[in-house]
Amino acid sequence: MPTEFKLPDVGEGVAEGEIVAWLVEEGDTVTEDQPVAEVETDKAVVEVPSPYNGTVRELHYDEGDVVPVGSVIVTFDVEGEEVEEPDVEPEETEDEAEAEPEAPESGGRTFAPPSVRRLARELDVDLATVSGSGPSGRITEGDVRAAAEGEAEEAEAEAEEAPKQAVSKVEEESVSAEPQEAAGREKTLAAPATRRVAEELGVDLNDVPAAEERDGEAFVDESAVRAYAESQQAAQAADAAAVQAGESGESGAREERVPYRGVRRTIGKQMEKSKYTAPHVTHHDTAVVDALADVREKLKPVAEDQGFRLTYMPFIVKAVVAGLKQHPYLNSQLDEENEEVVLKNYYNIGIAVATDAGLMVPVIENADEKSIPEIADEMRDLIERARERSISREEMQGGTFTLTNFGAIGGEYATPIINYPETAILGLGALEERPVAEDGDVVAKETLPLSLSIDHRVIDGAVAAEFANTVQEYLENPSMLLLE
Amino acid sequence: MVVGDVSTGTELAIIGAGPGGYVAAIRAGQLGIDVTLIEKDAWGGTCLNYGCIPSKALITATDVGHEADTATEMGIHADVKVDVEQMTSWKDGVVDQLTSGVEKLCKANGVNLVEGTAEFAGNGKLRVAHGGQGQGSETIEYENAIIATGSRAIQIPGFEYDSEYVLSSRDVLDLDSIPESLVVVGGGYIGMELSTVLAKMGCDVTVVEMLDDILPGYEDDVKRVVRKRAEDLGIDFRFGESASEWEERGDDIVVTTENADGESFEYATDKVFVAVGRQPVLDTLNLDAIDLEPNDDGRLETDHTGETDVDGVYAIGDVAPGPMLAHKASKEGQVVAEVVAGKPSALDYQAVPAAVFTDPEIGTVGLTEAEAEEEGFTPVVGKFPMSASGRALTTGHSDGFVRIVADEDSGFVLGAQIVGPEASELIAELGLAIEMGATLEDIAATIHTHPTLSEGVMEAAENALGHAIHTLNR
Amino acid sequence: MSENLTLVQAVRDGLHDAMAADDDVIALGEDIGKNGGVFRATQGLHEEFGDDRVIDTPLAESGIIGTAVGMAAYGLKPVPEIQFSGFMYPGFDQIVSHMSRMRTRSRGRFTLPMVLRAPYGGGIRAPEHHSESKEAFYTHEAGLKVVVPSTPYDTKGLLISAIRDPDPVVFLEPKKIYRSFREEVPDEDYEVPLGEASIRREGSDVSVFTWGAMTRPTLEAAENLEGEIDVEVVDLRTLDPMDEETIVESFEKTGRAAVVHEAPQTGGLAGEIAATLQEHSLLYQEAPVERITGFDTPFPLYALEDFYLPEAERISDGLREVMAF
Repeated sequence: MPTEFKLPDVGEGVAEGEIVAWLVEEGDTVTEDQPVAEVETDKAVVEVPSPYNGTVRELHYDEGDVVPVGSVIVTFDVEGEEVEEPDVEPEETEDEAEAEPEAPESGGRTFAPPSVRRLARELDVDLATVSGSGPSGRITEGDVRAAAEGEAEEAEAEAEEAPKQAVSKVEEESVSAEPQEAAGREKTLAAPATRRVAEELGVDLNDVPAAEERDGEAFVDESAVRAYAESQQAAQAADAAAVQAGESGESGAREERVPYRGVRRTIGKQMEKSKYTAPHVTHHDTAVVDALADVREKLKPVAEDQGFRLTYMPFIVKAVVAGLKQHPYLNSQLDEENEEVVLKNYYNIGIAVATDAGLMVPVIENADEKSIPEIADEMRDLIERARERSISREEMQGGTFTLTNFGAIGGEYATPIINYPETAILGLGALEERPVAEDGDVVAKETLPLSLSIDHRVIDGAVAAEFANTVQEYLENPSMLLLE
Repeated sequence: MVVGDVSTGTELAIIGAGPGGYVAAIRAGQLGIDVTLIEKDAWGGTCLNYGCIPSKALITATDVGHEADTATEMGIHADVKVDVEQMTSWKDGVVDQLTSGVEKLCKANGVNLVEGTAEFAGNGKLRVAHGGQGQGSETIEYENAIIATGSRAIQIPGFEYDSEYVLSSRDVLDLDSIPESLVVVGGGYIGMELSTVLAKMGCDVTVVEMLDDILPGYEDDVKRVVRKRAEDLGIDFRFGESASEWEERGDDIVVTTENADGESFEYATDKVFVAVGRQPVLDTLNLDAIDLEPNDDGRLETDHTGETDVDGVYAIGDVAPGPMLAHKASKEGQVVAEVVAGKPSALDYQAVPAAVFTDPEIGTVGLTEAEAEEEGFTPVVGKFPMSASGRALTTGHSDGFVRIVADEDSGFVLGAQIVGPEASELIAELGLAIEMGATLEDIAATIHTHPTLSEGVMEAAENALGHAIHTLNR
Repeated sequence: MSENLTLVQAVRDGLHDAMAADDDVIALGEDIGKNGGVFRATQGLHEEFGDDRVIDTPLAESGIIGTAVGMAAYGLKPVPEIQFSGFMYPGFDQIVSHMSRMRTRSRGRFTLPMVLRAPYGGGIRAPEHHSESKEAFYTHEAGLKVVVPSTPYDTKGLLISAIRDPDPVVFLEPKKIYRSFREEVPDEDYEVPLGEASIRREGSDVSVFTWGAMTRPTLEAAENLEGEIDVEVVDLRTLDPMDEETIVESFEKTGRAAVVHEAPQTGGLAGEIAATLQEHSLLYQEAPVERITGFDTPFPLYALEDFYLPEAERISDGLREVMAF
């Protein structure tokens, strides 16, 4: 019997979701808990499981539709009692001696003239499924032809859907041809045919990047030659086009419209809420981190041996946690309704990650209880999964303080927006050598610019400054982390 | 071949040129298939040479004599003399005409004819041994093969055919004189047809049958008409007895039978004719070479296209399941040829008619009333006695009836049984009705020529509908 | 009008039509007259044309060929048959010392319009000397043309062309497929030109060159590889003079080649073809020419025959090798 399935509540306060992808098709058999759709809500893509064993009767929305929670998205045919078919016994052909008057049967009698039976075979129509319009239900030629057309229409509808899917796949797989650099060898092996092609295209075989070696020498095939030639042409064409564009000032379409949906929109809303709720003040400072750089250098090979890559981030996390312990108001939340500041005794540090879909903040829970290697590993894992969009909503919730390392891309100072409903966020600039004044001299030192934004309803500038100082102390004297 | 073995390739190799094989070959030739037809004995097989055709020829000839001899009522006074040798040679002439006709038709349709005995020599290969001069044997490589080797008469232990005292049907059809007396073991259609022939030529016939009536598979009221007439012709029936042994005694032989109670009986007779059934011929084919096995009934299982378990190998006629009837073999042959040619053909016939050329004839097709009920239909039956047929009366033969079985609700014709003159011909109309999915109304509404026996068919249909004119409707 | 004939029937038909059209055409050989030929290749010819034109010879290959040389030099058009190509060796001297040289020896005054017919090739379960493929002996002898048909239609046309050719032709008939299949062959007298190959199947990935009984398994392999490799199959038909133009054109289209022949690899024509291809089209070559041939052993007795002769699977494997280079 047909059973409706409504879009369930997939997260706190989520009112709607976008159907990113259907994982089943109409007519598919599904088992309980088998995922039937991918729905995007908040910043996560969630798999929606089937609550029943049965078959998919109808999918009510298309991919890309935004569906309010509680709407019927799928109708299932749920497994129940099967309808019993009437017993049709095929007639047995008994082999009794001579003239057997019984007709040999292959099960069931058909009331259709031989020419109609032949037509059914030619048109691939199963007579058992055709209802006859002739007298007493006799099957006529017209009945068979009508049945054949009906099947053809169904097949067409199916065929139309298939190419749509194929088209979207192709679009996803657009390969970017990056310009290749000339190899500049002295000797290259190639089949005679390849040499001819290279000659025709005006390509020097010794320049073609060689992916293969034969007999100890570089070897190129025809496709490599062609690809290289193409990339050369493309590079030249791009140059020419750029020059032209610069000259004429034309650049194709004047405007492009990109949908403001999904994660992007969610981030937008979050940012809006945060900025317009909390009065933001940003405090800047610079930590001189030669010592930290040394420590990291020394520990890098050790870390490699242990199987993980050691960046500055774990140290910074530890330093921040140390600071938060001493300045608890930066690890808090303002509960306006109850008019209370909630000071948190646990330290869940969010790490802002830039992904294709936008900004995501996975959280390292209880960072105070974790060692630097553990933090390093967890960070790597969370960041990877965030970028792959396989991270869960839960892993991005419950943070108490956030770090944003825009310095990985570049830059010195910024004015980061606090990750609502936290009360503070620390932005990290690029860790590099900068001029520092020391004892009257200007020297080059490893420096790490810090940008600390705070919610001024809860934290004053002075407190912010003190926190920053504490963190800096740990960063500039990393041995202090041993005591934490 | 002097040395080596140059094999001949063919698209379709057909083993056996009976009504199944030669029909398949001609159809295949029509469809442009390169087909090779292999026959070890005579073109046309058992049917043309030792079965259907010669028996019908003799039946007609003896009928002519018998009719002339017994038509005094009509004012015909004849002194009939039967020259058996001439009758046999006339029969042979008919057979020759037909077998050479088969050869000509085959050649005209591009069929390659090979004389020899074929057996399988591995997948896709046949080894054909030539009986006589020329090449000893050859290999034929086939893409598809049809097994159409037909059947042979079953021999009872102790009654091996010797063509002298223990006769097979082939021997009976080739007599140069009529024996004075004959014991016929087996009351099936072959035994009955030939008993009638011999009785009409003055032979003293005793039919010994193991079951309790003749013609198994036919309804009682049908059989009764034939049995009574046979008795009138002087044929004695001994039911419930099976033949156990025979021996020579002076100029004659004595056949001993036993019944279920263990009693034995002796019959002194000139010769004994054994016709207890036929079995499919598969043992000469070396089927092991292609991993093909007969089923428990000794036949080769086939699907709706006639294909066996081995891809590309088909079986038709008496070696395939179903009634051992020539026309069924021919139909299968046609269908298989079409399937091999890539056409969407299939064995989907709704009914196979059958005929017994006794006196009177029997013609049946489709379901009996009982069978219709078993299949879940609500049967309605219409009957027409031959005694009410004007035409039947004018032939002097008015025993018998036409019965049509139909489904009460829909009126679809499900089956028919006809006993009487020309029953074998009359049944064709009902066969068509069943295949077409015709109803009683369709038959009743069709004008049938008067005065003919076929009107009886129309009236039987009307009877089932409750409005027959020349009989009382129930 | 046409009829479906097997290859050996087409031999008979071609010989018959050539003899009917020209009284100078004489057939001679062992058992070809009253017996009609051990393969029935000359069946009925003796009845029709009589003792003078269909001659049963003694068992003497050298004599048969030598007599034919003499007849041809005198202006007749003899068609001598050697019962199995493996028996040509006793007559080899006649072939290479005289048959091939008469034109050059006489500076064109005498030519030998004769056709030396012989069934050749393996696959018929025969004992020694009945299965070999030595076409390379004859292509290597300048002054001879060598023709190997693979279909009934080609057989009749090529035989008639060969009989009408003013120079000696060695006409090797692939006896394995003498009766394997039938093809429509026109009733009338027609010619298929010598020296022209036939593209049996078009393709774009690899060119396979073959002839005789190997044409069918090659086509079978090409069918089996459909979807995987697009195979072009070229039936050479005339081995000498070889249709270089067609071979080169095919190779330049595909860039890869294989040769399939029953004859042993060393000294076989696959080498000749490979050399020709690299001479004309080196720059088009993308892989070495694959030789799919008989092995360098005497032709085995029939229990092992099937392992010796290239068949569809071995050919397919060879083609995959070519493509994988």
